[in-house]
Parts: sequence; structure tokens; C-alpha cells
Amino acid sequence: MNMVLRELRANTRALVIWSVCMFLCVLSGMAKFTAYTSATATGPSINDLLKTMPTSIKALFGFASFDMATMSGYLALLFIYVELVAAIHAALLGAGIIAKEESDKTTEYLMVKPVSRTAIVTSKLVAALLNVIVINVVTLVSFLIVVPLYSKGSNASGEVLMMTLSMFVVQLIFLSFGAALAASMRNPRASGSIASGTVLTAYFLARITDMSDKLRFLNVITPFKYFDLGRIVAGHGLNLGIVLLSLALVAAFSVLTYVFYQKRDLNI
Amino acid sequence: MNVIEIKNLTKYYGKARGVIDVSIEVEQGEVFGFIGPNGAGKSTTIRTLLGLIYPTSGSARIFGKSCTTNPEVREDVGYLPSEVFYYDGMRVIDLLRYSASFYRKDCTKRINELAEIMDLDLKRRIDDLSFGNKKKVGIVQGLLHGPKLIILDEPTTGLDPLMQQTFFDLIDSENKKGATVFLSSHILREVQKMCERVALIKDGRIIKLERMSALQENNFKRIKVEGLSNLDKTIFDMPGVSKLENGGKTASFLYRGDINNVIRKLAQTEVSNLSIDEPDLEEVFMHYYSKDG
Amino acid sequence: MNMYLHELKSLRKSTIIWVCAMIAIALVYLSLYPAIYRDGAHFKDMLAGYPASIRAMLGVTVDSVTSPLGFYSMILAFVVLCGGVQAMNLGMTILSKETRERTADFLLVKPVSRAAIVTAKVLAALTVLLVTDVLYYAVASTIASMVKQSSYSGGLFFMINLTLFFVQLIFFAIGAVVSVFFDRLRSVLPVSLGTVFGCYIVGALVAAGKDDWARFISPFRYFDYSYIIQNSRYETPYLITGAVIVVTAVVTCYFVFARKDIHAVS
Repeated sequence: MNMVLRELRANTRALVIWSVCMFLCVLSGMAKFTAYTSATATGPSINDLLKTMPTSIKALFGFASFDMATMSGYLALLFIYVELVAAIHAALLGAGIIAKEESDKTTEYLMVKPVSRTAIVTSKLVAALLNVIVINVVTLVSFLIVVPLYSKGSNASGEVLMMTLSMFVVQLIFLSFGAALAASMRNPRASGSIASGTVLTAYFLARITDMSDKLRFLNVITPFKYFDLGRIVAGHGLNLGIVLLSLALVAAFSVLTYVFYQKRDLNI
Repeated sequence: MNVIEIKNLTKYYGKARGVIDVSIEVEQGEVFGFIGPNGAGKSTTIRTLLGLIYPTSGSARIFGKSCTTNPEVREDVGYLPSEVFYYDGMRVIDLLRYSASFYRKDCTKRINELAEIMDLDLKRRIDDLSFGNKKKVGIVQGLLHGPKLIILDEPTTGLDPLMQQTFFDLIDSENKKGATVFLSSHILREVQKMCERVALIKDGRIIKLERMSALQENNFKRIKVEGLSNLDKTIFDMPGVSKLENGGKTASFLYRGDINNVIRKLAQTEVSNLSIDEPDLEEVFMHYYSKDG
Repeated sequence: MNMYLHELKSLRKSTIIWVCAMIAIALVYLSLYPAIYRDGAHFKDMLAGYPASIRAMLGVTVDSVTSPLGFYSMILAFVVLCGGVQAMNLGMTILSKETRERTADFLLVKPVSRAAIVTAKVLAALTVLLVTDVLYYAVASTIASMVKQSSYSGGLFFMINLTLFFVQLIFFAIGAVVSVFFDRLRSVLPVSLGTVFGCYIVGALVAAGKDDWARFISPFRYFDYSYIIQNSRYETPYLITGAVIVVTAVVTCYFVFARKDIHAVS
């Protein structure tokens, strides 16, 4: 418990900054909704036409498969960016919290205490999980506050809830990935760079698969594509099977974190 | 000529005290000791001298010039920090060559000599070295350009006793060649062995600046008495006595004053053993640093 | 010179990685180009059944996004994002490296002025950025000419690629100035990623309009590719803003770095 509290305290400032960023991201994104609505909804015939447009061309225009004139369609677009921010936070957090002792040169301090390495990893992961939960709650609340200001009556809170849930799962994947990475690498200080590099690669992959139907198979390796935002926009919620598979992935990464951390030679 | 001139140096870190009104002059060819407990301001003084930090007021000069306005005076300065950290992923020889590249002379020969003396493997990667070996890299690095002023900040931490001896011999030979040495330490033995003059610093202020010999004399004697029977508890309650430990048959104390007074006291008791020593620096040190001292 | 070379050597590995990443982005996207070009042509055929006004409007926009330069400028947006992170990281690490890796006691007691240290480091960073961009440009222009479906202006292609260097300069300068004020930051990555992505997201969401004052917030929006392609020049106000940011930041670095206390490690 003392270790969890210690980790929480060490991350408080970063958490506050990220939360504020998250809120600003949501707020500034939503502020542009009116501009999009008026820009794209020039006439019903064009909206129909857009539906017949090849996905690659739509991706080039930047609005993927969503109907930008509706609130939930716009949310889906905005959400891609929010999710990216959240994923970077999670990956850096996971890598950083495991590597912290070695990068801060406090290994000797912690390792001579009568606690097992398993207990150390557990408290670090618990603390990281709490951080991620806070970010999610902040995001959800931001959306719930800001969206009604612009939605002109239509209620999108169901979609927001589903999107945030999907974001939470994606964050967990990157969090556990970052942690496993930091636990396995010889120089854990580099794990932050690699973890965020992975997030960016996943993001680019997600953007690339938007462009061509033939590359759909790549969606398997980019968590940004695990949850189909179009499905959420259409009101179908999350695919339970994918949620379970994602959680299995999270569990696998977590187990790897324990195994690697247990075995590693800690740098002093 | 004074190699080091520190005048009324004051440094505050925000509100926290660094050093207050420190004035030190070190002459050419001297070995100067700078002692004080942790946090007294030794490193602050040295870092100001080297131009790493800026004084709040006062000045610190080397060879008559300030390091901050005339960085080139550092050409003749060698510095060994108390903790050495070097760039990741370099071999020892790479680091030493990089260090040598800052000075306008060829240091290759000296590097090899020094590595030989310090028993340092030049081909190893610095990351893989132990703390003591990193320290050796620091020593070679600080001396490879034949500096005229050598500044040492707690130099022996991490070195084994044999290496410490080698190191002090090395510094001694540099001094004989004409180098001035400024040695900061809290290990009194090494200061006592090396230095001609010492400055004592406490809570940011210089409390004593004297020749080593004068400091040690200073009329202090370390006296130990063993009686045939239990000693009178109050026998040594007299002016000039400090650090008195009186228990049963034995008593020990520091004494400053007319030695005859003690002899008269001792004459009143049956003594089985008596020793009167010059106090070592440690005891002088404790005297100055004890709360009331 | 020795410091400059030392910095270059220590940046070698990361530069190679960044160049590879940027080239990979260009390679993957550009290889999709022929297929997308066909999709576009096909779509325009479909437009035939629609009213002339819509046909004209959409046809032109589809043409512009599937033209070699139009398509490339979308790819470049991702490359610039990547390059921005590289530059900001570089800016944040290069001046604070001594403090973070605790090697200040090594470098700063050498007989060189602080200004000389800053100069060597800034020059090394500029070299790295230039090398990155030249390598990227060489590869990207080769791939582009291989996949092109119609001819395009080499001059314009160069002009839009040059914006990569400009944006990198801005982020490098911002990173450097941040690092001289907050040299005790333990990890650089969250700050640089946060800033660059913040600007990217602001650029993508907030400053979407052409004449938006919000464009000044995000260096990513200082250079509007469609404007450059149409007018063959950069937009002066933004170019000046960029230059002012870079110059101010670098000058500030010199001043702050020279006056800074280098604290003992503990």
C-alpha cells in the first residue's frame, strides 16, 4: 500500500497536466463542431454522394466513414485524436513506472526493502491503473459537460460512454505493453521512446488502413482499430468478443511484466 | 602571486544558504586544504571558483581572472569532482581523448602514463566500470593536461587504500613540479597528510584559516590519565579542559592553557599511566564543530 | 569543433532511426498512390450522373487530392509530425544533456565559454536536422517520381518539402528554450510528445479554417500546402512568425545558458 501511494504521489503532477490537456483537447475539438457541421452539410445530395465515395478518397478528405454533420459522427473523428493522446499517456506511464527505480537510481533503496519484486510490480501496476482510470473519468466528464453545449438537443452520451470505454481498453493495452517493454529491456530508460514509437506506428497504421481496403488485415496489429467507431456511432456498442480478446492481451503483457521483472538484473 | 583569490564570496540559492562572506587566498605552489562537514559550503565554493555557479556577491578568481568572464583560464585547471559521471556508450580512451581535445597540447603520452600509474584499462566501456574505476578515469581526466592548479573535491571516495596512496603520491609529484593544489575534504587524515594551510568552513562561513602546524599546535594537548585507584570526579574541573571523559580509573581530555596547571593537579593523585599527545586534526576539528565550539 | 563532432557522434544512432521512420511513412503511403489514383478516376466517372455544379465542385477537389502534389502533401503532414517530434526532442535534450546525464562537471570546467558550448550544440542539431531532411528528400523524391501517374513540378515538390525543415526549426527552438528553463526535467519525451501532438491536434481540429487566427498557435498550420501549390510561395505572416520564434528562442538560450548555475549532482 505504501508503494502504491508513493507511486501515485510521484505521478500526481503529470496526471494533473495530462488531465488538463485532455479537457482542453475535448473542449477545443468540440468548439469546432459548428464549423464542420456547416461546412459539410451543404446539401443532402452531397451527403448521399459521399456515401458512394471510395474509402480511400474519403480518408484523403480526412473524414473517414463518419457523417460529419451529426454529433456522433463528429465525435468519432474527434475521438481518434483523444484516443491518441490517451494512448501516448498510457504507454509512457507504463514504461516509466517500471523503469523509474533504474532511471532515478533508487534501485538500491527499494530493492533492499523486505518486499518481493512481485509486490513491487503489483503496486506499480495498480498505481498506473488508477492513473489511467482518472484520465478516463476526466475524459468522460469533459465530454459529458462539453457535448451538450454544442449538440443542440440531440443526446450523444451513450456513444460518448461507449467510446470512452473503448479508449480505456486501448489504454490498458498500451499501458501493459509499456510495462512489459520496460521490464524486458536491458536499458529501461529507452523504453519510453520505444513505447511511444510503437503508439505512433500503431496510429500511422490505423491511418493507412483507412486508405485501402486491401490493408484491412493490418488492423489486427493496431489497437486503434480494435474498436470500430462506426459501430458505436450506429448505436451497436462494443463487440464483447473483442473486449475479451483485448483484456486477454492486457493480461498477457502484465504476466510478461512480472516474469521479466523477476528475472532482470537491475541496473544500479 | 595568488593562484586562487576568493573575496567576500556569498552565494544564496534562493533563500537557502550556500556560503557567506568567504575569503580565501591560495599562493602558487601551495597545497591548500579545505575542510568542513557535509553541507557546509565546500562544493559551493569550488563550483563558484570554476564558474559553474554565479556568486550572489563577492568574487572568485583563478590566476587573477574570473572563470565566467575568461573561460580560457580553465586551460590550466584540473578538476576532480566528488562524484564522476560520464557520457554513456563511450570507451575510457574516447572520453580521455575528448577531454584532451579541449586543451591546446598533445596529451597522449600523459594519458598513457597516468593510466599506467592508476592501473586503468583504457579500452573498457565506461558504463561497465565500477565506481572506483570511474573515479580513476576522473583522476586521469583531471590531470592529463598538466594543470597548474588542481582542484580536488573529496577525491578519495571510492578508491581503495592502496589507490588512495598512489593518488596522493601522484598529487604530491604534481605539486613538486609546481602545481598548486586545492583539496576539499571531510576526511581529516588526508588533509593533515597533504596540506600546508587549511581553511575550516562551517554553516557557510570560514571559521578558521591557518597554517596546518599552527592549527595543530594551538596549545591543545590530548591528555590521558590512568590512576592507581578511582580518580576524583571533580579533579579536572578547571579552565582550559574540554572533551572530558572521566570514568573510574581513567580520564581523558583536551587541554589548552598553561600545562603547569595540569601537572600540579596530577601531582595530587597517584598516577599509574600518563600520555600527553599532540591532538590530531580530527580532535581540533571536533572542537571547532561541536555545537558550542 | 571537437564539441560539435562529439555531439554529432552521439546523435548518430537516433538520427538514423528518425530518418528510417520518416522514409517508411512516405514509402508506405506513396505505394498506395496508384490504387488511390484509380479510385479517384473511377469516382469521377460515377459523378457523371450528378448535376453539373456538384460535378464541377467535387471533381476539382478529388482531382486536387489525387494529384501527385496534393496527395503527397497529405503524406507530408504525417512526416512533418514525425519530424516535429524529432526536432523537439533534439532541442530539449541537446542543451540539457549535461545536466541530466550529470556530465556538467566534465564539460563546463573545460576552457571554453558557455556561448561556445551553445554554438557547438546548436550547430550539431542543425546539421542533424539538415541531414535528416536531405536524406528524406532524396528518397521521397525518388519514390514519388516512381509512383507518379501524371507529371508534377519539381520546384513545388521541393518547396513543400522545405516546410519540413522550417517546422523542425521551430520545434527545435521551442524545445531548446524549454530545456534551458526546466533543466531538471527527468524525462523529456512526455513534454516533447505532448507539445508536438498538442500542436498537431490543435492544427487538425481547431485551426481548420484558412484565415484563422488560431493558425498561429500551431506551427503545423504555418504552411498551407494547397496555398503553396497554388501560389508557389509561402505565406509571409507565418513565415515571419516562425522566424521570430526561432531567433527569439535561440537568443534566449544563449543568455539563459550563460547565466545559469550548474548545480552539483546528488
